[in-house]
Amino acid sequence: MNSITVDGLTRTYQGGYQALKGVSFAIANSEFVAIMGPSGCGKSTLLNILGLLDRPTGGKYLLEGAETARLSDAEITGLRRARIGFVFQAFNLLPRLSALENVALPMAYAGQGVEERRARARELLTRVGLGRKAENTPLQLSGGERQRVGIARALANKPALLLADEPTGNLDSKSSVEILALFKELNAEGMTVVLVTHDPAIGAAAGRVIRIKDGALA
Amino acid sequence: MNAGEALRAGAREIYANKFRSALSFAAVSVGVASLLYTMAQTQGMKEALEKNLELMGPGRLTIEKKRNYTSKGLSQGLTYGDALALRRELPDLYMVEPESTNWGRLVHGRTSINGVKMTGGTPDFARRDWVYRLRGRFLNEWDVAHRARVAVMIEPAVWIKKPFWAKFWGDDNEYDSFAKRRDLLGAQVRLEDSVFTVVGVLTQPPRDKDPRWDSWNTPNILVPITAYQQHLAQDMNTPDAVDEIRVDTGDERTLASRRKQVEVILKRRHRGEEDFEVKDDREEIENKMEEMRKYVKAGLALGVVALLAGGIGIMNVTLATIFARVREIGVRRAIGASRADILAQFLFEAAMLGAAGGVAGVGLGLGGVKWLAGLGGSRDIAQITWLQCAAGIALASFVSAAFAFVPAYRASRLDPVEALKAE
Repeated sequence: MNSITVDGLTRTYQGGYQALKGVSFAIANSEFVAIMGPSGCGKSTLLNILGLLDRPTGGKYLLEGAETARLSDAEITGLRRARIGFVFQAFNLLPRLSALENVALPMAYAGQGVEERRARARELLTRVGLGRKAENTPLQLSGGERQRVGIARALANKPALLLADEPTGNLDSKSSVEILALFKELNAEGMTVVLVTHDPAIGAAAGRVIRIKDGALA
Repeated sequence: MNAGEALRAGAREIYANKFRSALSFAAVSVGVASLLYTMAQTQGMKEALEKNLELMGPGRLTIEKKRNYTSKGLSQGLTYGDALALRRELPDLYMVEPESTNWGRLVHGRTSINGVKMTGGTPDFARRDWVYRLRGRFLNEWDVAHRARVAVMIEPAVWIKKPFWAKFWGDDNEYDSFAKRRDLLGAQVRLEDSVFTVVGVLTQPPRDKDPRWDSWNTPNILVPITAYQQHLAQDMNTPDAVDEIRVDTGDERTLASRRKQVEVILKRRHRGEEDFEVKDDREEIENKMEEMRKYVKAGLALGVVALLAGGIGIMNVTLATIFARVREIGVRRAIGASRADILAQFLFEAAMLGAAGGVAGVGLGLGGVKWLAGLGGSRDIAQITWLQCAAGIALASFVSAAFAFVPAYRASRLDPVEALKAE
């Protein structure tokens, strides 16, 4: 079964600007896909729709074979929480929480017990190489470390799909390489990874590149 | 997310914005303090009233000279004779006590004290508000009939726990400090220009425990009304005059009819002049309570207004908080928070702010009530229960959460994509 199937996807903003003009593709389970294209081409919009943060104005989006158009906001939220992990360019960690608490947060929203959460968060931080910095707040971490926390957080609820928007955009080249290696590792373990990037190195590392230009596949 | 975590997260947020938070709950705490104080007062008043009514009995009347009344020359005014007539014509009255009071000089040995409150009365004095402990003997009928120059001294009341104001200002007058140091039982003292023998000493209950609402009105020295008229009264034109006559019918049911009869008898004796007033003591007290109730209502209104103002303050802070945390809301939504989660988060934070205000208010209120209880002397107004404190805090958090609802709801409806773009 495909992880993602989109068919004729469009997204028109209020005021008439068309960010996506009918995009169709499929991404199989355990694929590593890079979405590339120039700024303003609509790739972030596409990623937001794939991540169920935004809804298309037309076309179909099937997540793991299920149609998403008719789902209520609560159902969408539940699906996003359980099946999708988000990694952001700006990390988007909550500054007042420790690394551990940041990683545990999605599990809290999923209703898991405190002990369970802490244990898994610690395990995930160890997995991304930050086992010793679990109690640090984001301000006490370097950019690369923050992104590792971000990835650990994205993995918290054992999603099937990892979405990343320019995950190395705010990192130096050394950290970028490390983060990319982490993504490849996760993909090798069976995780479907879709990331939006400008970085040709990441594009080269991905199993497949989907190129977008002016809201359509290029 | 469980309650403990939400609590910690909320506390962290409040602590991170200490100043803003303190400002916003200041008004809430004033509201809670004011409500608490009002509740305490209501409670204290009710208890004071009940205690006093119990002590007083149900059938009490006070006959006084009518104020601002110019006699036509027919009546002799209120006299000891009136009291005797009431006794004679209405023998079932439980108490008929004529009373006059003057402030004068007391001399004992080399000590001379001015401003001593000297009251003339009868043995019936013992039939009203008797809270004393007696050493020696009290006035008797023989004393009154024979104008005996005997006196009963009333010792100044002490405090069990002295309130702040009494320590600060000192609440002893000359007589108090004199009477405290000397036991005058059996001694001879000069009151004004006549020598009296002290045959009894009355000890008052401690001031903090005194059930009388007018304990400040207690005389210093009690003598037979007849001896008072002869030796201590100042107006020589009306030798038989008394200031007031206190009556107790002994029964609530006979109060109204006896009151009428008293009025008829006195009017006849005063040759048709209504130069007196018959007052129901309970009405007097209830009037006083009614007056106090008005203040309580004002306190209540102040509390409600302050709480509402506090609620608006909290609303404002919630708005500011949300505005500053739009991006956080986006992140939380992206990692799986539902709209309800976001709504709950901000409502909870507001409720915590309110509760903090409530706690501060309870502190303020308790302090204030304690202080005011001190000011009020013997009144037991410091009657705040834990339940009232809890209710105050709960109310503060509820009001805060209610006012935060609109901003929190708007926060929960933010578009996650837009929220994530915020700086």
